[in-house]
Amino acid sequence: MKHILVIAEIFEEMIRPVTWELVAAARRIMDLENSGLIKIITLSDDPLSLADKIAEQTGVDVIGLKIPGCMGYDSDVYKQALSWLIKNMEPSHILTAHTSQGRDFAPGLAIRLKAASISGVNKIKSDHKGLIYSRSVLSNNQNMILRPVPGIPVVLTIMPGIFKFDAHENIKKGQMDIFEAPFDFGSDSSGSICHKRIIKKACENKVLKQADIIVSAGRGIGEKENLEKIFQFAKCFSFSAVGASRPLVDTGWIGYEHQVGITGAVVTPKLYIACGISGSSQHLAGMKDTQFVVSINSNPHAPIFRHSDFCIVEDAVEFIQAFLKCKADREY
Amino acid sequence: MKILICIKQLSDSKDISRFDAHALEEAILLKQEFENQGIDLAAVDVVTIGPLESSKIIKRAFGVGADRGYHIVTRDYEYISSFETASKLAVVAKKRSYDLILTGIMSQDLMAGQTGPMLAEMLGFPCVTNVVKTNLTLENHSIEVEQEMENGFRDCLSITLPAVLTIQAGINTPRYPTLSKMLTAGKKEIVTFNEAELFPGEAEPVRARETFVSMEYPEKTRSGHLLRGSLIDKAGELLSILQEKNLV
Ligand SMILES: Cc1cc2nc3c(=O)[nH]c(=O)nc-3n(C[C@H](O)[C@H](O)[C@H](O)COP(=O)(O)OP(=O)(O)OC[C@H]3O[C@@H](n4cnc5c(N)ncnc54)[C@H](O)[C@@H]3O)c2cc1C
Ligand SMILES: Nc1ncnc2c1ncn2[C@@H]1O[C@H](COP(=O)(O)O)[C@@H](O)[C@H]1O
Repeated sequence: MKHILVIAEIFEEMIRPVTWELVAAARRIMDLENSGLIKIITLSDDPLSLADKIAEQTGVDVIGLKIPGCMGYDSDVYKQALSWLIKNMEPSHILTAHTSQGRDFAPGLAIRLKAASISGVNKIKSDHKGLIYSRSVLSNNQNMILRPVPGIPVVLTIMPGIFKFDAHENIKKGQMDIFEAPFDFGSDSSGSICHKRIIKKACENKVLKQADIIVSAGRGIGEKENLEKIFQFAKCFSFSAVGASRPLVDTGWIGYEHQVGITGAVVTPKLYIACGISGSSQHLAGMKDTQFVVSINSNPHAPIFRHSDFCIVEDAVEFIQAFLKCKADREY
Repeated sequence: MKILICIKQLSDSKDISRFDAHALEEAILLKQEFENQGIDLAAVDVVTIGPLESSKIIKRAFGVGADRGYHIVTRDYEYISSFETASKLAVVAKKRSYDLILTGIMSQDLMAGQTGPMLAEMLGFPCVTNVVKTNLTLENHSIEVEQEMENGFRDCLSITLPAVLTIQAGINTPRYPTLSKMLTAGKKEIVTFNEAELFPGEAEPVRARETFVSMEYPEKTRSGHLLRGSLIDKAGELLSILQEKNLV
C-alpha cells in the first residue's frame, strides 16, 4: 500500500492547527482511493514531544525526523531532509499546507522527487480515471481542475480552512518512529540561507477584532479620498470599525491595523460589508466566519457575491451615498 | 551584478502580472543602489514566455529601465504548467550567469506560486519566497531579505547569491515608464526563442506532470440574495434588512 504523507506544520516549536486539516485531506484521498496508509512527518531538532502530541491527537502514525541544529523552518533543510526520507518510501501523495512555509518548500521538493505538484488545492474529487484536484485561478473567479500524470507521486499544498478534521472520541494513539537525519545543519555554516531573527509587525488591530460591524474597502473604491465615505458609512453603526483589503494597505492608503485577511486580521463580526472587494481567497480567509455578509461591487460576477448573504451590484461610493441619504430621510 | 526578472503577460488585459511589476521595480531599485555605491555593472534583464504580443511588456520593462529582453514565443496564451514554465525559463537563465533572479509571488491568472521555487531548484540556487523587503549588503556575496509569514510575522534572512526571490506586493510602488526611455526602448533588441531553439535536438523536452481537466465555477457558500431596483431602492432595502436584524 502506498503512503499518503502529511508534513506537519511547526512554528516556534508549536504544531499549527492546519496540520489537522492536512490529515483530513489525506483521509479524503484514502477514502476516494480505497487504499493508502497515512503517515505524518515532523521535523525538528528534538521531534519527540511534537511527534507524541501529533500521534495522540490524530491517531495516525508519525515519523519524527531529528535534525540536529534545525531550530525552526528552513527551506533548504526541509527540502534536503524530506527528499532523503521520502525517496525510500514510494508515496502516492505528499501533503503540505498552502501557507508561507508550504508554498516555500513544496515546489522545490516536488522537483527533487520528480513528482507532480499542485498548489492551493481547494477540492479533491475522483472521476473514472482517478483523483482530480481543484485550485483557484483567475483572481478566484474560477477553479481549474488538474489531474497528475500517473505513476509518479504528487505534492499538494492544501488551502487552509477547507478540510475539517473531526476528532472522534477515543482515538487510539498512533505509533511513533524517530529517525535521525544523517546531516547536521547546525554546524554547517556553508548553508545558503541564514536566519537572523523573526520579527512581528507591531499591530493594534484590537479595534477591528472587537468590532460588531466592519465596513471594509477594496480597490473598487477607486481613490484614496473615497475612504472618507467608508468611514462615514461605518459611523452609521455602533461598535463598528473600518477594514480594508491588502492592496489598500500596500499602497499606503490606510494602516496595516485595518487589513483583513490571511496576512492581516481574522475577524468574525456580526456584519461585514465589503465595498469594492473582489473576494480573493486570501481576503475571504479573514472574514468568512462572519455572521452576515453584505457586498457591494459593480461587477455582477465578482467572486465575493458567492460568499455573501446580500449582493448589491452598484458603484460602491454611489451606493454609500444613497444609503446615507435613505438613513437621514428615515430619521427625519 | 546581473539580475533577471521573469515577467508574465495577462491574456485578458495584456498587462504585466501585478506581482511581476513589483519584482521589476525591485530590480530597478537594486540597480540604482548599486550605481549609488559606485558599482555600475548592474544589468537588469527580463524574460517572458508568451505569444508574439507579449513583447509589449518587455518594451514596457525597457521603459522603466531594463537593459535586455528575452522572449520565448508561444502560439497562444495556452495553459502551461509551472513545471514547464520553470524548465523553459531555466534555459534562458543559464545563458548568462545571473546573480539574482526575481519572480512574482504568484501569477495573477494561474496563481500557482510555483515557478520561482521550481526554477531555483532546477538551477541549484537557494530561494526565498514571499519577499517584502530587500537590503543590499555586499558582504559574502549575499543579500538580506525579509520573508512574510502569517499573522504579521517576518523572517529576516540573508541568502547567498546566486539566488531566486519571489516578490510580494507592498515591497515597493512600481514606477511608470518614462517617455525618454520608451523612445530608446524601440532601439533595444528583444532576443526571441521558439521551443525548438530552446531545447535543440530533443523531440519532447519537458512534459507537464499534471494535465488540465476542466474549469469550474466555485461553489456558493452563502445564499447570495440579489437586491433589485434602482440605486435608491436597493439602499432602502438594505437599510430595512439591517434595521430588522437590529444591526443599525
Ligand atoms: C501570500 C498572499 C497573502 C495575501 N494576503 C491578503 C490579505 O491578508 N488580505 C487581502 O485582502 N488580500 C491579500 N492578498 C491579496 C489578494 O490576493 C488580492 O490581491 C486582494 O485581496 C485583492 O484586493 P481587492 O479585492 O481590494 O482588489 P481587486 O481584486 O482588484 O478587486 C477590486 C474589486 O472592486 C470591484 N470594483 C471596481 N470598481 C468598482 C466600483 N466603482 N464600485 C464597486 N466595486 C468596484 C471590481 O469588480 C473588483 O471585484 C494576499 C496575496 C498573497 C499572494
Ligand atoms: N509565462 C511566463 N513568463 C515569464 N515568467 C513567468 C511566466 N509564468 C510565470 N512566471 C513567473 O513566475 C511567477 C509565478 O508564477 P506562477 O507559478 O504561475 O504563480 C510569476 O509571477 C512570474 O514571475
